[in-house]
Amino acid sequence: MSMIRVRPGGSRGLPPLGRTPLDRGLVGPGRRDSLWWRVDWVIAGSALLLSLVGALLVWSATRPRLLEAGGNPDAYLERHLLNLAIGLALGLLFAAVDYRLLRAYAPLIYVASAVGLVAVLLVGSTINGAHSWIVLGGGFQVQPSEFAKVALVAGMAVLLAERRTQEAAHRSADVPLVLALAAVPMGLVMLQPDLGTAMVFVFTVLGVLSLAGVSARWLLGLILLGVVVVFGAVRLGVLKEYQIERFKAFTNQDADTLGAAYNITQARIAIGNGGLLGTGLFKGTQTNGKFVPEQQTDFVFTVAGEELGLLGAGGIVLLFGLLLWRTLRLAGRSPDLFGRLVAGGVASWFAFQAFVNIGMTLGIMPITGLPLPFVSYGGSAMFANWMAIGLLLNVHARSREVERG
Amino acid sequence: MPDSFPLRLAILRVLVVSLLVTLAARLYYLQVLDQDKLVQTANRQHVREVILPAPRGAIVDDRGRPLVTNRSSLVVSVNRSELLAEHDQGAAVLARLAKLIKVPAAELARRITPCAPDVPKPCWNGSPYQPVPVLTDTTPDVVLKIAERREDYPGVTAEAQTLRQYPYGSLAAHSLGYVGPVTQEELDAAAGRAASGRPGGPALHLNAQVGRSGLERTYDGDLRGTDGVRYVTVDNRGTVLGVQRETEPQRGDTLVTSLDRDVQAIADRALAAEIARRRTEIDQNTGRPYAAPSGAAVVMDPQTGRVIALSTSPTYDPTVFVGGISRKELAQLTDERAGVPLVSRAVQGQFAPGSTFKLASTSAEVMSGRASLSGSYSCPGSLLVGNRQKKNFEGQGIAGAIDLRVALAKSCDTIFYGFAQQDWYSDESRVDGGQKAAEVLQRMARAYGFGRDPAIDLPDGEQTAGRIVDRAFKKGRWDANKAQYCADARRGYPDVADAARRSFLTRLAQENCADGWRFRVGDAADLAIGQGETTVSPLQLAIAYSALVNGGTVWEPRIGRAVLGPDGRVLRDLKSKAHNKVPVSAQVLDYIRSSLAFTPANGASGSVAFAGFPLDKVLVGGKTGTAEVFGKQDTSWFASWAPANGRARYVVVAMIEQAGLGARAAAPVARTILEGIYGLNGTKAAFPGGAAPTAIPKVAGNTAARSDRRSPTGTGTPPVPSPPASSPSPAVTRSPRRPRRERREAPRRRSRGSAADGPGPGPAGRPRRRSGDCAGGRGSPTPVRPDPGGRVGGCAPGAGEGREGLGKGGAPT
Repeated sequence: MSMIRVRPGGSRGLPPLGRTPLDRGLVGPGRRDSLWWRVDWVIAGSALLLSLVGALLVWSATRPRLLEAGGNPDAYLERHLLNLAIGLALGLLFAAVDYRLLRAYAPLIYVASAVGLVAVLLVGSTINGAHSWIVLGGGFQVQPSEFAKVALVAGMAVLLAERRTQEAAHRSADVPLVLALAAVPMGLVMLQPDLGTAMVFVFTVLGVLSLAGVSARWLLGLILLGVVVVFGAVRLGVLKEYQIERFKAFTNQDADTLGAAYNITQARIAIGNGGLLGTGLFKGTQTNGKFVPEQQTDFVFTVAGEELGLLGAGGIVLLFGLLLWRTLRLAGRSPDLFGRLVAGGVASWFAFQAFVNIGMTLGIMPITGLPLPFVSYGGSAMFANWMAIGLLLNVHARSREVERG
Repeated sequence: MPDSFPLRLAILRVLVVSLLVTLAARLYYLQVLDQDKLVQTANRQHVREVILPAPRGAIVDDRGRPLVTNRSSLVVSVNRSELLAEHDQGAAVLARLAKLIKVPAAELARRITPCAPDVPKPCWNGSPYQPVPVLTDTTPDVVLKIAERREDYPGVTAEAQTLRQYPYGSLAAHSLGYVGPVTQEELDAAAGRAASGRPGGPALHLNAQVGRSGLERTYDGDLRGTDGVRYVTVDNRGTVLGVQRETEPQRGDTLVTSLDRDVQAIADRALAAEIARRRTEIDQNTGRPYAAPSGAAVVMDPQTGRVIALSTSPTYDPTVFVGGISRKELAQLTDERAGVPLVSRAVQGQFAPGSTFKLASTSAEVMSGRASLSGSYSCPGSLLVGNRQKKNFEGQGIAGAIDLRVALAKSCDTIFYGFAQQDWYSDESRVDGGQKAAEVLQRMARAYGFGRDPAIDLPDGEQTAGRIVDRAFKKGRWDANKAQYCADARRGYPDVADAARRSFLTRLAQENCADGWRFRVGDAADLAIGQGETTVSPLQLAIAYSALVNGGTVWEPRIGRAVLGPDGRVLRDLKSKAHNKVPVSAQVLDYIRSSLAFTPANGASGSVAFAGFPLDKVLVGGKTGTAEVFGKQDTSWFASWAPANGRARYVVVAMIEQAGLGARAAAPVARTILEGIYGLNGTKAAFPGGAAPTAIPKVAGNTAARSDRRSPTGTGTPPVPSPPASSPSPAVTRSPRRPRRERREAPRRRSRGSAADGPGPGPAGRPRRRSGDCAGGRGSPTPVRPDPGGRVGGCAPGAGEGREGLGKGGAPT
């Protein structure tokens, strides 16, 4: 057993901070104390760009629907921008709070989100088959499972990082502890049932555990267990009928184009209709025709596919690539295990959720009801995503401080 | 433990990158490689074709005056397959609609149900996918209500449609014909033609109206025009979002006919008036008033073969077909007791021509050398033909030797019996000698156009060939029916109550069974005077007399004169085709013409009807015919032309069924028509100067407006309803879809329930009025019962056979 080495320069083989062209370009000499220098602008910028593109797509998707209903055609755009503003504020808060304090607050966040998930089961509302929302009144509703994603990442990171700092702690106990920690929100989410979010938890836990140095046997065992659990769930009828239908529709997409596979088919048609350059914003015939259901939330990517074409939709994939690459880079350069695990956990979360969401609209993943981070309409998700960005920025700022010494 | 963190991070990186690359690859596949297919699918979803119906071309007369035009009407239609997609099979929608248009819901439901053997009437005769018009000429108010509340009326459309309009009602109804909705079979056939690149007129769409009868059918490809298509983008509920592109409808071409509205009206009136008059007169033979159930008149230009008027009584107003004909109305049009008004007697009627047929007999006998223009013949009161005395008309002979001129003018039958008998014996000896029978009379009759379709520009099923009996015909019929004859002879008609009739029928069957194949000398004699089984249509007689007066040209007559494009340009100049020349010398034709001219010297039989007619101004020639029909009153015929002392301009043929002498019933009709044409005896001349117009008339602009650009009600955007006078609005062919709901399609019924079955306005709905043989004759609306010799009727077993020795004597003229 060895101590985790904390190297300011990050992992081996990478140039020290401040030497890469990007860093040089962004950070002028003599401004090393500034906020400018402390913030990872690639992470913040790509997330912000995704959010703003999302605003356009949500606008385009909801405009014809709102016009038909006779309402304000910009209502969703305004709400999305408001959500973004609140999200930015939350992100700023999470980024600005003291690094040590953050570790102290993490358990608090975890407990709060668990309470939220219990509350959902007690007083929540069912929307689209999932019992995931708490309606606050006045048109506001909260989806605690989104916050649970941040809480789980932070919780796991704190738990593992705290144990490593105590010399006596046994690594063999890491896995059961983390699993116990994850089991609470995951179980509560499964009860809603929100399979998609549970899958995000699974992937995030796997990502965090693997970066935490848990032995490969454990990880393989966990994956195997997951497969067995999924099979058992299907066999024992834990899954709802519509979830099984969705999966069947995924495996045989042409079978029932007006039934369960309708969404998949329509999404694919809309994306194909865009072609290389797209029809142009607000000009998508499938989008304007409201053929794709849930287009401002789960299927927002189809708007990009149709109206912005391969260039626009590919650009979104590229932005996610930029964000994830930079987040994983941060994981490698983080001064402590907490930072590494936060960055790795957030990267796992975003990567999995983005892949499942986009893959679903492209017909290569089953429909799970996961929104596309930053892009999809939805307040709770937007807040949680920006909280995660706040965490990343906080870790980044810390790594800069450590580097400076 | 070695530090595995960098490795693990690298693995995670690789994993993340591979996920994103997978997405990018899939995106590239969908948007670039698989794009065409998906774009097509998308287009199918968000693009709807809205058919902009092309206004049908007008049909005008020889002077450009409209005979058929268009008008616009607000029509409420129901799409049944869309109704069935509703949760309650559309019951609620029908109930709402019933209340709105004040028609009981049950009645509405019946009307939109496709016809099938087990479906009570009224039912829908067209394609099950086609919107069924349930109310025509509704108010803009109703249209607005339906358009405003689309969600209450799924599957219901209310829109302006172009309907055919007949400004003169029944005028020339049988020639003009009518239109009806296209059938699924025709749509499939058109699609097949389009797929294989064969020509077949403009494309057909689901709501199209096609010519079903008459000129409307013959010239359908010209009249129909090309529908425009508007491609609209729609949303998932079928609401129209905008117009993507559109092609303009091109209105149909105008058909100019050689029919003259005035002459046609004169003929219609003259015929109707004469029929009415005959019905008040007592038939001396029967002691009853004349039945005069039907009649016809034909006016033709013998020099060009163009038809100027075709008149039939009883007639009908084609307006009943507009917007769909009801069962009841259709039943009336085909009702035997009402005289089957749907059938054109002028073209489809088949009647024994009587003495008018002597045109062919004289030509045949003179040209074959049997008779001579300079010869003298005796005209006894009766002649022994075979084993039977056949009488002259009314048993009266003409004293002394007469020439053919007198034989024609006074219409002596016995002379022609004699010729026919000699022809028959000569043919029999040829047959006995192993040669083919010459059958000079039959050959001459065919040369004059009898016994074959007149090849007029009317649909095939609407013209008849008539019948000229020869040896081959009788043999063929006997071969086909002898089993039945012999079976009847053995059984002896046990179900016939009357003993005398039973024995008569049995003996008939016995004779038919034994030698029904034989062409007897009596048959030859009957043929010579246009009796027996000989039948012709009034049109055929007009063609034959045109040949007489034009120097021998037998026309394939034309009603169509020209096809004009929407801009008035002449696209096609339609001309009659000369079918053949009769093999008769000019000298003989001239002899016959002059014999039949109404000069005082001739004293022709028909001239009595022209007392007071200024023959010095317009000399008329003509031949009467009085055909005896077993069990019925005599058929009255008159074939005439004018002027008879120069180049003949008009051939006028008139016929009235069961109306007595040719000179008494038919001749006055022809006289009235000629008076009207020339403006004689105080009438206004239909053709001033007596000359029909020869130039193609200018048809300026067009009578019907083009389809406008209003949006259809069927797709959500409420149109501005317009009063019925406005131009038509388009119809949606494909119904808006509700994506999440399963659409149930109406069951495909091809063979049953479509217009092809019932006697509907469809192509097969119209009974084929051709009674060429015995089997087909029974259903004929104008049964051929020409035989005075005791035959039961056109369809009796052994029709025409064995009457020598069985029937009453007598030879009509």
